[in-house]
Amino acid sequence: MTTRALRRVLVPFAVVVLAVALGVFVLGRSHVQAGSPAMENPGIQLTASAASRYGSITEGRTLFEASCSACHGAGAQGSALGPSLLARGAATIDLWLSTGWMPLAEPTAQPVNKPPRFDRQQILDIVAFVTSLAPGGVSIPSAAALNLKTADVAQGFDLFSLNCAPCHTITGAGDALADGYHAPPLHGVTARQVYEAVRTGPSNMPPFGPRQITPAQLRGIIKYVTQEIEHPASPGGISLGGVGPVAEGFVGLFVGTGACLLAAFWVGDRTEREDDEHGGGQEEDPKDGLEGAHV
Amino acid sequence: MSDLHGQGGRAGAAPLAPGIETVGPDAPQFQVAAAHPRGMERRVALLFIVGLLGFAGFGAAYWQNSTNYFLGLSLGVGFLGLGAGMVAWGKYLMPRGPFSESRHPLGPSVEEKEKFVEDFASRGKVALQRRGFLVKLLSLASAVFGIVAAFPLLRSLGPLPKKLFYTTAWRRGSYLTTAYGRRVHVDDIDVGGVLTVFPGDDIGGALSQTLLIRVGQPGENVVTEPSRANWGPDGYLAFSKVCTHAGCPVGLYQRLTQQLLCPCHQSLFDIGPGRPAVPVFGPAPRPLPQLPLRVDSRGYLRARAGYDEPVGPGFWERGGTT
Amino acid sequence: MIDAVYGWLDDRLNISGSGRKLVNKIFPDHWSFMLGEIALYSFVILLATGVFLSLYFIPSSKQIVYTGSYVPLRGLHVSEAYASTIALSFNVRAGLLMRQMHHWSANIFLGAIVVHMCRVFFTSGFRRPRELNWIIGVNLLILAIFNGFLGYSLPDDLISGTGIRISFSILESIPFVGSYLATFLFGGQFPGSAIIPRFFIIHVLILPAIIAGLLGAHLALIVRNKHTQFRGRGATEKNVVGAPLWPTFFAKTNGFLFLVAAVTAILGAAVQINPIWLYGPYVPYHVSYAVQPDWYMGWLDGALRIMPSWEIHLPGHMVPNAFFPAILLPGVTFTLLMAWPFVEQRITGDRLEHHLLERPRDRPHHTALGAATLSFYFVLFGASATDVLANYLSVSLNFVLWFFRIAIFVVPLVIYPMTLKICRELQHTPGGGKTKRHNIVLRSPEGGYSTVVSQARPGDEPPVLEPVPLDGPELVGAMATGADRRSSGPLGAAATGQGGGVAGASRARGVFRIPRSYR
Repeated sequence: MTTRALRRVLVPFAVVVLAVALGVFVLGRSHVQAGSPAMENPGIQLTASAASRYGSITEGRTLFEASCSACHGAGAQGSALGPSLLARGAATIDLWLSTGWMPLAEPTAQPVNKPPRFDRQQILDIVAFVTSLAPGGVSIPSAAALNLKTADVAQGFDLFSLNCAPCHTITGAGDALADGYHAPPLHGVTARQVYEAVRTGPSNMPPFGPRQITPAQLRGIIKYVTQEIEHPASPGGISLGGVGPVAEGFVGLFVGTGACLLAAFWVGDRTEREDDEHGGGQEEDPKDGLEGAHV
Repeated sequence: MSDLHGQGGRAGAAPLAPGIETVGPDAPQFQVAAAHPRGMERRVALLFIVGLLGFAGFGAAYWQNSTNYFLGLSLGVGFLGLGAGMVAWGKYLMPRGPFSESRHPLGPSVEEKEKFVEDFASRGKVALQRRGFLVKLLSLASAVFGIVAAFPLLRSLGPLPKKLFYTTAWRRGSYLTTAYGRRVHVDDIDVGGVLTVFPGDDIGGALSQTLLIRVGQPGENVVTEPSRANWGPDGYLAFSKVCTHAGCPVGLYQRLTQQLLCPCHQSLFDIGPGRPAVPVFGPAPRPLPQLPLRVDSRGYLRARAGYDEPVGPGFWERGGTT
Repeated sequence: MIDAVYGWLDDRLNISGSGRKLVNKIFPDHWSFMLGEIALYSFVILLATGVFLSLYFIPSSKQIVYTGSYVPLRGLHVSEAYASTIALSFNVRAGLLMRQMHHWSANIFLGAIVVHMCRVFFTSGFRRPRELNWIIGVNLLILAIFNGFLGYSLPDDLISGTGIRISFSILESIPFVGSYLATFLFGGQFPGSAIIPRFFIIHVLILPAIIAGLLGAHLALIVRNKHTQFRGRGATEKNVVGAPLWPTFFAKTNGFLFLVAAVTAILGAAVQINPIWLYGPYVPYHVSYAVQPDWYMGWLDGALRIMPSWEIHLPGHMVPNAFFPAILLPGVTFTLLMAWPFVEQRITGDRLEHHLLERPRDRPHHTALGAATLSFYFVLFGASATDVLANYLSVSLNFVLWFFRIAIFVVPLVIYPMTLKICRELQHTPGGGKTKRHNIVLRSPEGGYSTVVSQARPGDEPPVLEPVPLDGPELVGAMATGADRRSSGPLGAAATGQGGGVAGASRARGVFRIPRSYR
């Protein structure tokens, strides 16, 4: 195989690889988005067998002892490995379990979005158990608190831009914070999770109480996140993962200018200079140009 | 149809010696580059038809008010067909060359130069040197015109900076007001929460924007540094939201680490008791100015005073090392 | 009819005289001479799409309540500039396509300028007599960067508005005159209401006019100085080898214009750029994380990020932090770029005219310096995405920042000797870098290895042809005489008149008969 033939293969191959890499990048983003935990049936489920409005305390205790008590203590009072969960509220417990942040792979790990360990009923059972130990905190939102029919999505956008975009970015792509913390992406989150996160302020996130963001305003934010962030209007084509001009710059440089270069490569001539073999131009001393005529 | 092409081109006629005598009509330089011009003609025609169809498709898509995708793709295909066809025509169906042209000296010849200098100097001598006084006067008048012309051009563009950079709308007693115009009450913000506030008479002001942070419990007086003993009542602190580096809104608060991060260039400021927003990371050179707060008798948060230093990034006249 | 018009014009403009020179102007065939054309044609596309956009865009900071078709904005206060850009994107037929093509074209424009400049630098195309054109080129780059930034700022969305805020701070940081410059440009303290209309008129009139003028000068100087060329194929310091403007280069270059347009249109169709409806209107106290400028400003943003937190304090005065990365760095960069031909003449002592280009490997230190410099700006560009990188690679932001603070010094220092070594290796490898031959690796009985170039086989490569001079004294009118036979059109008739009387034409007559396939 001559190098020329090799290049005939390699150039299209490189183009395909670039295109596939781009595709993987873009699709990978959407895959990650789709792979985030998705919850059906927002709202509270009342179970008949329990003393709690959330679920079965006894079932919850069993699950808690198996999966949580090693760090948080048998009575959820906390230990050296994990904080106390007493009076943290149902919303906090629900949020951390339904996003898959808890349980951690190991006590020192950072919480990351992953499929939840427990199903919906089990989560509610654990919530029932923990909230039975001490009152207080934010409750799991009612269906009415998450009713988005009349929510003002424009006001939600405005509040999102002011309060959420500084960390999660305006497109909800998420970004790195200082000291190794991350603001997670907001794709694939449920209305209940948005509510619980805004009200409880998990990890580094500040909490926003009802006197700061009213229930109606919060419904607007939830509507913006679950509808517009989740399904952004992209009439212009591939959305490049919502990371803005960095991705656009790469596409502009490597796809745009790159494609023009490939075109130039075809339009122009690719003959190598042959002076090594044929001596064309070689005998010409570069300093022996036209200077003699007029210098 | 064609009996000329395809003979000399591929067969590798011996390289011709420079000189016109040997270049004949059958010289490979005048042959088209394509080995099979008829086939290439067909391909070019096909490309032009593709281009035509693309443009027609664009017209149809426009008429139908189609999506961006179809509009752009049809237009792109049209350009592609047209462009590729023209390039192929030029590349394969025209003399392959190479041809050459000679270079000529770029500069003037010695005589040209001398003549020009002579003309210029001799005329100049007659015209200007004998009227040196007039030349000076003309220069002076032009210079004055230049200076006064610059004034309407520059001066009317904007106000002199003067006090613009030094003061904000915050003053003693200003109510902390949200972007929506609501006064902030001491119970409004949860511990760990943040809120962007303005003085009541400058809501939305780019320089007045201030970040109110509740770092402590109700009743807790937060002292960032000893000279600011009563600036942080009921767990509240307020800092200018304008970054001291490049002026971006420092809106990213990390509750656990009690730090403000600037989203633009990632300057990090420590907040809290004994932490007066001093930059600990990134390019910001100075702490964020702190707004002294008090809680009035009805529980509203108000400014004890305005900022005691210019907010935002530095500028030449700012001076000082605060 | 055409004859009459042509004759009328020719009597007044002497088209035949200057036109003949032009149609015979030789353009080198090598693909690397097409790079500047990408930029030129992107500029054409920018003008065409820009005119379309200017018909719909309203350059006003006036705040209005949005009532258009994009629901998540309805009822919000936005500027007329923002609202009109949204309307342009959603409600004007092909408006979004034109906007996206305009933006992509700007990215390609800048990319092509940089690539073109690299070609000129690495092949030493800037040497005498082309220093002036190099300087014009650097100025075109500066103006293109500025105009790109202005255009990016015009929609008044959250991300570009943050960029304007930063640019105010950068202006403010200039010693002595900074605060005056900033308030004069913005008509007062930030944000004011003057900046969008002012940016608009600079973006659509002032800078494009200057760019067009400089482009004209750039091209005129190419015609005056003639093209540079690579060695080989009969190219010498005294000629230019390639294809004549008419018709070969004309067909290729116009085709290329459409190819560049095709790339732009397909990008505009398939890949979304700057979706400002997702960013929302600019509000001075709103901010989004992961904000960056367009890539050609990225190196400045990166420099702003990795600059240590230093300022200079003087009695009563100060030099702010942003001055060093955002004013001093580009100032030094562009001054050095413009001065480089003269600096190099100082270093090498070579002040002679050069029309033959050097292969990069033949000037190893020059190439290494260029590569190291380029890597410096690439690192800065990478540093403009510290947060995005930290997020995607799941590493600490602090680590990424320090990585870039160190890499900015280490990478160029590594690239320089590496490039030097590669250049020297290539110099000493027979046929190294040649793509049309393959090398045969030989193993000696002692176990050493060496390479030799394989012999060319018949058909492996086209024969090397000597160039045919189009402007030799014997050839005046030669091409035209050929054309004369089959054409009674204006060009044929006019050229015959010109060429007929010249000595030697009779010898050439018939010799330059144009092959039928050329018709």
